[in-house]
Amino acid sequence: MTLFQATGLQKRFGARVVLENITLGIEEGTVHGIMGPNGAGKTTCFHLLTGHHAPDAGSIVFAGRNIAGLPPHRIARLGIARSFQIMNLFDDTVVIENVLLALPAFKAQTGRIFGNGFADRTLIDAALAVLDMVGLADSAWSKTKSLSYGNRRALEIAVALAAEPRIVFLDEPTSGLGVEATRALAALIRRLRTRYTICLIEHDMRFLFGLADRISVIHWGQVITEGTPAELMANKWVARSSLREAV
Amino acid sequence: MTRMLEVRGLRKIYRRGLLDRTPTFQLSADFAIDEPAIVGMMGPNGSGKTTLFELVTGSNAPTEGEVLVQGRNIHKVRTDQRDRLAIHYHQSYQVRHFRSYTPNLLLDAAGSAYPLVHLFDEPQFNTQDGYIGFMLDFFRKLRAQGRLVFLCVHPNERFHLEIIEEICERFIFVQKGTVTALDTFDALLAHEPARAYLGTLLPGARP
Repeated sequence: MTLFQATGLQKRFGARVVLENITLGIEEGTVHGIMGPNGAGKTTCFHLLTGHHAPDAGSIVFAGRNIAGLPPHRIARLGIARSFQIMNLFDDTVVIENVLLALPAFKAQTGRIFGNGFADRTLIDAALAVLDMVGLADSAWSKTKSLSYGNRRALEIAVALAAEPRIVFLDEPTSGLGVEATRALAALIRRLRTRYTICLIEHDMRFLFGLADRISVIHWGQVITEGTPAELMANKWVARSSLREAV
Repeated sequence: MTRMLEVRGLRKIYRRGLLDRTPTFQLSADFAIDEPAIVGMMGPNGSGKTTLFELVTGSNAPTEGEVLVQGRNIHKVRTDQRDRLAIHYHQSYQVRHFRSYTPNLLLDAAGSAYPLVHLFDEPQFNTQDGYIGFMLDFFRKLRAQGRLVFLCVHPNERFHLEIIEEICERFIFVQKGTVTALDTFDALLAHEPARAYLGTLLPGARP
């Protein structure tokens, strides 16, 4: 089933046309990759898909509902979570607090006078379960700023998952990561794919080719080609490139 | 039959200034392309390739002559609709900036929803990342959808010429403001200014 369908998205900033005509569909339960060279419009595309920017034209249908132009918080509430290229974590807290704050049940409590999410065992258990999914259960009570860069990224994904989304968008999750951390991240995404639909924006082609079910290639603000990694690899010029050793 | 693109008696003259009318650069072009195709465009730096692209997309006004896209004079189309006829792609982004002294109200509608002519200005081709193949597929897709694709390349490696031979069906060579249309790859290789320009990249030449 197509969970997420963008059709004919256009975005300009003044005379600069960043996205001309983006059409892509994401099937439920798959990992969908979006890749493209620098300046191709990947991040703008990501902002449009996750509601950060409203498109000038086109539609975005999520689970049967047009969400184009809805404000980000409404989109988040519908079950769409995203990460940021620049990490947003609370440094002066312990790891688990970042996740607690993102739990819908915790947010529901904050309005009450006598509620205290930090003392609620069921909420803490829920946060621990999310941390466990990303492999950070053991660091739950460590200082956030003590985490390694790779673990910070995992925590960021945990924060996105805490919102109980149906689809998770990750913007360049490998950026700044070393070889080991990238490998650990790939393993994490493979574990998550059984529970979530995931859309990855990446410039690291090798990473994407090893993980994605389908890939949309963006250039000049358009989807210039689309297919499974095997289909894309069959291209003569791709076979000649350094990507050949990737898969 | 309406031709896909007709460049008729087109001339652009740049002069030194308003008082000193000495021409500093002149571009002349006269050619037509009847059907969808992928056209390779080449020529030394400063020969007028980008000016020609600008004239075809209607972002630069000609001194004389006209550009007809599917029979429509692009310089008489509303500025906010010219990109429905022709698009100029820079290396990775697109700029649409049109000026006209005639208000849009008095200009024609484009009469097209998706652009017919796509001009790619020196796309970055490197064999490392594999994007070449995806770009070539995109050019083929556009052509299969009945569009006209211009590919401006500045070959500095043999495989650039390989790409051009693989994908382009017709050619345009621009030299010092003179535009020559050539029907085949062989005709391009036989064209003397093109030979001089390609130099060591020519088949059989020693690198």
